[in-house]
Amino acid sequence: MESIVVLKDVTKVIKGRTIIDNISFEVNKGEVFGFLGPNGAGKTTTIRMIVGLMDITSGDITIDGFSIKSKFEDAVRHVGAIVENPEMYKFLSGYQNLIHYARMVKGISKEKIDETVKLVGLSDRIHDKVKTYSLGMRQRLGLAQCLLHDPKVLILDEPTNGLDPAGIREIRDYIRRLARETNMAVIVSSHILSEMEMMCDRIGIIQNGTLIDVQLIEEFVHGTSASFEFEVIPSEKALTFLKTNYPTIPVTHSRNGITMELAKNEVPAMVKAFVEEEIQVFGIKEVSKTLEDRFLEVTADKGGMNHD
Amino acid sequence: MINLIRNELMKIFRRPGTYVMIGILVVIISITGVFMKYNLVEDEPNVTEEWKPVLQQENEALKSQLESSPIKLEQDYYKKQIAINEYRIEHNIPFREKYNVWSFVKDSSELILLAGLFTIVISAGIVASEFNWGTIKLLLIRPINRRKILLSKYITVLLFALIMVGILFGFSALLGAILFGVPEQTLPYLNYFNGKVTEQHIVVYLIIYYGLGSIDMIMLTTMAFMISSVFRNSSLAIGLSLFLMFTGSQFTALISMKFDWAKYILFANTNLMQYIEGTPLLEGMTMSFSIIMLIIYFVIFQFLAFYVFNKRDVAA
Repeated sequence: MESIVVLKDVTKVIKGRTIIDNISFEVNKGEVFGFLGPNGAGKTTTIRMIVGLMDITSGDITIDGFSIKSKFEDAVRHVGAIVENPEMYKFLSGYQNLIHYARMVKGISKEKIDETVKLVGLSDRIHDKVKTYSLGMRQRLGLAQCLLHDPKVLILDEPTNGLDPAGIREIRDYIRRLARETNMAVIVSSHILSEMEMMCDRIGIIQNGTLIDVQLIEEFVHGTSASFEFEVIPSEKALTFLKTNYPTIPVTHSRNGITMELAKNEVPAMVKAFVEEEIQVFGIKEVSKTLEDRFLEVTADKGGMNHD
Repeated sequence: MINLIRNELMKIFRRPGTYVMIGILVVIISITGVFMKYNLVEDEPNVTEEWKPVLQQENEALKSQLESSPIKLEQDYYKKQIAINEYRIEHNIPFREKYNVWSFVKDSSELILLAGLFTIVISAGIVASEFNWGTIKLLLIRPINRRKILLSKYITVLLFALIMVGILFGFSALLGAILFGVPEQTLPYLNYFNGKVTEQHIVVYLIIYYGLGSIDMIMLTTMAFMISSVFRNSSLAIGLSLFLMFTGSQFTALISMKFDWAKYILFANTNLMQYIEGTPLLEGMTMSFSIIMLIIYFVIFQFLAFYVFNKRDVAA
């Protein structure tokens, strides 16, 4: 895997306050990287530094090998971004907005503009003034603006903000397709966890300006061990049996029986043990943790630790 | 760069407000024209009148005043008048002519103040609005450095100033030609410089006159531009610049009565016409002094604008 965006020991200090503390991570070509964190954690600040809207206090960010600090023009040439809301010139038509941005990069033809408009599905309304657009249409125009110059990196700050479920799904599918088909790296920030789960390959979790963890999404959601709910009768007996014989396995009483954390390949042995103990097993169900659970776990653990 | 300027012009001329400004300018020129037309009729000078003896008489009076005057500034003024009058008599150029298109164009130059007002409004908004609209974020993530973007905006402001003054000049000329007529024989303007009188075509003279008259406005526009980029606040930029535009020269005149350092104030130097016709505000002020002062102010304004704009974190 080839990395295209590299953050190295990036720190941002504003008026003596450390907003971003020593963040390092890499984003590879063709992957969707989720940037997850509560409001005010520093997501937008980090994104602003990546696109050069903010100065980097120390450390460096390179895009396609060019430093955003010293080679701004070369670095930003390969970036398409929406930072926060896609604010466009409301008194211009959508098309005029695109012309405006097209003029700022060399070699964008009229055909390319038309093609991009079609791609984001705005052909019918592109000549209307932006002030008549719905939020969803503005998002799409924002996306068109990013894609005009065939960027290698797409950065979207809260891309589904204010969209209806159909719009969210459309954007999500679109982002996945871009990453897969054009080998574009996509960086998406969000505080909506379910959103990220469906969209991203990897996620980085940021809290209070520090990067807590970067993980593959599956690993992150499932962790190392999974939880299984055993529907057993009598559950009291099963519980005491487990506590005496397997004291290391975390186990809790749940609505239909008992829930325990163990690796998948240990499940048959456990069933056998129950049967031998004459505990009736009616069903076994894997309980996957939601991203939300994991997120709260992770931020509580590590965030708490870092704060001491 | 040309593309950037085209973008900026598009952003200005796609807004209805701009046309309101142009409309107001045109309407006010028209009102002035009509007003002039109906008020001039009575005191129309009789151009066929024998004017040479009048000038000769005037020169006699001026000469005696020149001898009795102790002040150098006054002496210079008399000398100039005498030289020009003599030139008129010698070359048969009457000192008064019928009010015509060129007189109207010259009178209209008062309205540069209005053109300046509108240019300041545009200048104050051109950077600050991008911050207000939030569009600055998308504007600054293009492969173009910030200095170029700011420069394109400044050039656009200058172009806008040129367009406004151009409209003023062009429309005044058109309206003047309709209302007052074009004279059959255009009298030249007489220039007095270093004790010599030279002839200048009236149109050339008027263009120079407009150009010098616009310096005030260009400096204030630059100041508004600077405030706009430094504070990202268009109201502050408009307010302060307009306030200074209307009061600056009066304040400077007041200060100059008491203090000599008034000559370093921006507004003491914006009126370069004072060296061509009329007398300087303070003794010791020359054209080159004023030009140097203007350049210093200009560089300070531009430095501040570019330095802050280039440095600033965009968090809007």
